[in-house]
Amino acid sequence: MFVTRKSLSRRTMLKAMGAAVSLPFLESMIPALTPLARAAAMPPRRFGAVYFPNGAIMQQFTPKTVGAGFEFTPILKPLETFKDQLVVATNLTRSHPGSQVGDHAVSAAGFLTGVWPKRTEAEDVLANTTIDQIIAQKIGQDTPLPSLELATEDFTGYVGACSPGFSCSYMNTISWRTPTTPLPMETNPRAAFERIFGEAGSAAERMERIHQQQSLLDSISEEAASLQRVLGPRDRVRMNDYLENIREIERRIQQIERRQGTQIVTGAAPLGVPDSFDEHVSLMFDLLAAAWHADVTRVFTFMMSRELSQRTYPQIGVTEQHHSVSHHTGNPEKMAKMVIVNTYYVQFFAKFLEKLRATEDGDGSLLDHSLIVYGAGMGDSNSHASDPLPIVLTGGGVGEGHRHVQVPVRTPVGCLWSAVAERFGVPPVERFGDGTGKIDGIF
Amino acid sequence: MRWKALWTILAVILAGIAVSVSMGSPQAASLQTSQRAVLDKYCVTCHSQTAKEKGLVPIALDKLDLSHIGSDAEIWEKVVRKVNAGVMPPPGAPHPDKAASETLTSWLTTELDRAALANPNPGRAPLHRLNRTEYANAIRDLLDLEIDAASLLPPDDSAYGFDNIADALGLSPSLQERYVSAAMKISAMAVGDPKVRADGSTYRIKQDVSQDQHLEGLPIGTVGGTQVRHTFPLDGEYVFQAKLYRTNLNIMRGLESAHNVEFAVDGERVLLARVGGPADLDALFQKPTDTGDAVDARLRVRIPVKAGPHVVTATFLQESQAAGPGRLQHYIRSSVDNFDWSGQPHIQTLTINGPFASTGMGDTPSRRRIFTCVPANARAEAACAKQILSGLARRAYRQPISETDLQRIMKFYESGRANTENGGFDAGIRTALQRILASPQFIFRIERDPAPGPARHIGDYELASRLSFFLWSTIPDDRLLQLAGAGKLSRPAVLEAEVRRMLADSRSRALVDNFAGQWLRIRNLSIVSPNSDLFPDFDDNLRQAFRRETEMLFDSIIREDRNVLDLMTADYTFVNERLARQYGIAGIYGSQFRRVPITDPARRGLLGQGSFLAVTSHAERTSPVLRGKWVLENILGLPVPPPPPNVPPLKERANGEKPRTIREQMAEHRADPACASCHKIMDSIGFALENFDAVGAWRSMDADVPVDASGDLADGTHVNGVVELRAALLKKPDLFVGTMTEKLMTYALGRGIDYRDMPAVRTIVRDSGRDGFKFSSLVLGVVRSLPFQLKMAPEKEIEVAANVRH
Repeated sequence: MFVTRKSLSRRTMLKAMGAAVSLPFLESMIPALTPLARAAAMPPRRFGAVYFPNGAIMQQFTPKTVGAGFEFTPILKPLETFKDQLVVATNLTRSHPGSQVGDHAVSAAGFLTGVWPKRTEAEDVLANTTIDQIIAQKIGQDTPLPSLELATEDFTGYVGACSPGFSCSYMNTISWRTPTTPLPMETNPRAAFERIFGEAGSAAERMERIHQQQSLLDSISEEAASLQRVLGPRDRVRMNDYLENIREIERRIQQIERRQGTQIVTGAAPLGVPDSFDEHVSLMFDLLAAAWHADVTRVFTFMMSRELSQRTYPQIGVTEQHHSVSHHTGNPEKMAKMVIVNTYYVQFFAKFLEKLRATEDGDGSLLDHSLIVYGAGMGDSNSHASDPLPIVLTGGGVGEGHRHVQVPVRTPVGCLWSAVAERFGVPPVERFGDGTGKIDGIF
Repeated sequence: MRWKALWTILAVILAGIAVSVSMGSPQAASLQTSQRAVLDKYCVTCHSQTAKEKGLVPIALDKLDLSHIGSDAEIWEKVVRKVNAGVMPPPGAPHPDKAASETLTSWLTTELDRAALANPNPGRAPLHRLNRTEYANAIRDLLDLEIDAASLLPPDDSAYGFDNIADALGLSPSLQERYVSAAMKISAMAVGDPKVRADGSTYRIKQDVSQDQHLEGLPIGTVGGTQVRHTFPLDGEYVFQAKLYRTNLNIMRGLESAHNVEFAVDGERVLLARVGGPADLDALFQKPTDTGDAVDARLRVRIPVKAGPHVVTATFLQESQAAGPGRLQHYIRSSVDNFDWSGQPHIQTLTINGPFASTGMGDTPSRRRIFTCVPANARAEAACAKQILSGLARRAYRQPISETDLQRIMKFYESGRANTENGGFDAGIRTALQRILASPQFIFRIERDPAPGPARHIGDYELASRLSFFLWSTIPDDRLLQLAGAGKLSRPAVLEAEVRRMLADSRSRALVDNFAGQWLRIRNLSIVSPNSDLFPDFDDNLRQAFRRETEMLFDSIIREDRNVLDLMTADYTFVNERLARQYGIAGIYGSQFRRVPITDPARRGLLGQGSFLAVTSHAERTSPVLRGKWVLENILGLPVPPPPPNVPPLKERANGEKPRTIREQMAEHRADPACASCHKIMDSIGFALENFDAVGAWRSMDADVPVDASGDLADGTHVNGVVELRAALLKKPDLFVGTMTEKLMTYALGRGIDYRDMPAVRTIVRDSGRDGFKFSSLVLGVVRSLPFQLKMAPEKEIEVAANVRH
């Protein structure tokens, strides 16, 4: 008896797959957590941005009708169950439409920055502080981690994986702390776990470790400060960044100390990087949900895969590389495959939302008190289009849900981020990146 | 020696002529006039100021002053590069004859080199963070400890094709936090920490490894499985657990006949378990999930292991083929079908958990390395600690340490030693080691900027670090530091002897892994995943074989100090059975690699190797564009610009008919003049390689069409097939050697190189040519070069600092 590929329905397979990726370990850490104190329902308490690479088949993404009560398209179908807390925003664009140089780099780097990053290989990367970081400055200061940055693909030493002429930083992260400081994204679930929950140990051991870290940091900053005196101006600037980083970690440690009473009971930490994409993405989403639940952070960015990703997805019948399928040349067969890939990504996101919806948080659920963006810096992948971008906003933070908001054609995405900033009570951002103002009526 | 002396004299004379000619003599003036005429005739038709202003060409040559070549060095270097490589004038335009174009480039380079010599600019040496590989190697050399840096530190960004570029190695709070946490973990691992908690490490085997065959390095008489080098933190008990592969339907594969799984530590069997057979198969049909779990439970053993590194294997004993189910498997990869539960079982993960019931810190290589003294009594402890820690800090910081540095470290020793629960001498050393490893002087390569002004020689300690990070990707050894301390390292004879010693040392393997691994994109193989419907034979075994072959070829160039052109032309290569089968080489059996002569000229050198051919292919087909681009960038040194803006997507034909061959598709591609200028150059190189399919196998038919491997290169040379292509590419060996030198310099300096470095590159190539382009001559050339030996303060430092916004 042989079970062959052909005799299987896709549904059976997905079911089996779902079974294989459920990871119970994170549940075990939840009970010991204190729920957040009840707070006013507004504004949202958490912000997340989930990025998918290589664009989308927009015809299968964008709802056909504008306004309330639209019908869900094939790609967005998995999100239908969240329709009351969901807004689709169309016609947004990255800046500099028309030029197509370094598309993949500028898609990732242009999404949350709202700018066209400077074309450079290394020395002088320049983009813009991203919306997640602006929000983190506002709502991230009372948690151990102001923000959390995760991804799944580690491209260290892989040559040619970046757009020619553009620094790899532009593609390896979607989060920028300052216009010149990209925040590296963690790809290893184990490392992410330890960053969120610390290393395993009894409360006493953990406190001891924290104190040890603190004295190491004190001593290092003393050393760095004395080194700074002998360095040239440019290196002094770098050393200054280094010192700032140390202060940021010290701030974090103080936060953890302050919470000494809240002992976090952690389950077993995940071991290393999973081989399968399904497992890896699910694990990262689980970690993000747990980090929110434990209130270790209130802001995250997650790049599900990297632009130019060469992954293949034999588990859903797509044996060509993601990037190669994305250049579908209008071929219906390839476009259908791209839709499968796009939908596949949305399914992971939907599972994540489900988890947030099921997690109690004060007077509602985690989802009720969040605003989460799901989207990409590239529209139609075949032509590397910079507009319209596929963007969905979810969570209680969207206000009234089940709306398809269509803004004027080629509205810079920065206008959306201005509105998002305002939603979080950040003092008005006149021009976010290349934005020309703020979108009204989206929330 | 006599020849060398003669060459030197000749070089001096030639240089003298060059200098005298360019010093405003009448010859110089006439040469200048004649070159202007050549430029006007062949270049300026397109490269004029008017055309540039219209945006038609990136550079203009008509208004440049030929009596001051040095002031437009950036532009002239481009001219030299394009003309030398034969891509300018473009295909189809009138060309100067060979002699005229050679006169032009040699006149230009003489002028450029002279200008550079008058005003040397070595560039700056910025603060340089160790990358992940260097960090791991430094720990290995400092503490005799192997770590998995990828699990301790986040990914590094690359630039200019390498991951050791100073400006790309950024900083962030999360990174800084990881360095502190790594320092703590590594110290515990190296010194031993009796209170360390049990922890697990999981080793995963890629799903596309064929486990029905013997894997290199594993014991003879076994198939599949894995072998890992694992460091055990304490003497104690450890749990080993393997898990077998389940299909996408969660059914464990390979239970229809019995197999024996063996675990071994340092070659000693610690577990033999039987899986599969009628009873298991029966149970599998009843309860697939429970049965899988029950079978995995047999692959678990708890045993005492001594602290330190041990080789752990988990593998299958080879069974008689006759006992198999006799299934028909017509492809090589044993796991090609994710739903097929029959055939060979596959080990998917091996997890090592522990320590449990630990009995002590044991005697590990790290402890032997660290504890250079043992205090006889409490009073002797402080002196011994000082000895140990100052030695470690000197190695770690790569220079003598200051009294303040030592005090900082000793403070941690004291506090660790005084710890009430977990203190003592060892704990003091462990705590102080954390401090050393967390120091910015360990994590950064810091070279102090010299005072503003002309370039100066770097110090001997800085030279020691530059050498060891270049050749070994790690910190200098004691000998280098001693020579630096004595001020001898910079002496030319000592320097040469040291470079030769370092190349002969096994640590120069780093040049294979890190330099060649990135230059030749061998590392990219890890994500090559050909479409398994079209290439069902492709498995990880072949992927690893591709990697090994190219690595071994490069290694042989280093070890045997060969002419670097052998990379392109070697009449030997390295294969095992799997690779030989792919290449159609008969009579090679077994998983181990061996050197074999090449009889088929098509397979000679890099262009005939699977690593190159596979990383430049798509999942479902070859890509002449990517292959052409690879050759231009890595062999000819011509970076290919990104496609121009607003390229319309390739249209499907109206009648839905598809172009039959890649060549036809590419022809449509090149119909657009905006695309054609580059694609003409790239594609024809790629076409010549079309006899190799996307996984490096030879083919004479592509689907049902005979392969046409002919094309016209940019300089008009007509080539058919890889052999002719290779000959054409090597017509000017300087191009390949020059490209390799540029890459080597980028890697050695940890920065992008530009037109200002080209005079140094040419010097290296020229000198190396006199020495038969030996690998060592290239390396020595880089080491002796001005950018490697000198440094200067940043030209516009205030401006730079002001530009970095916060």
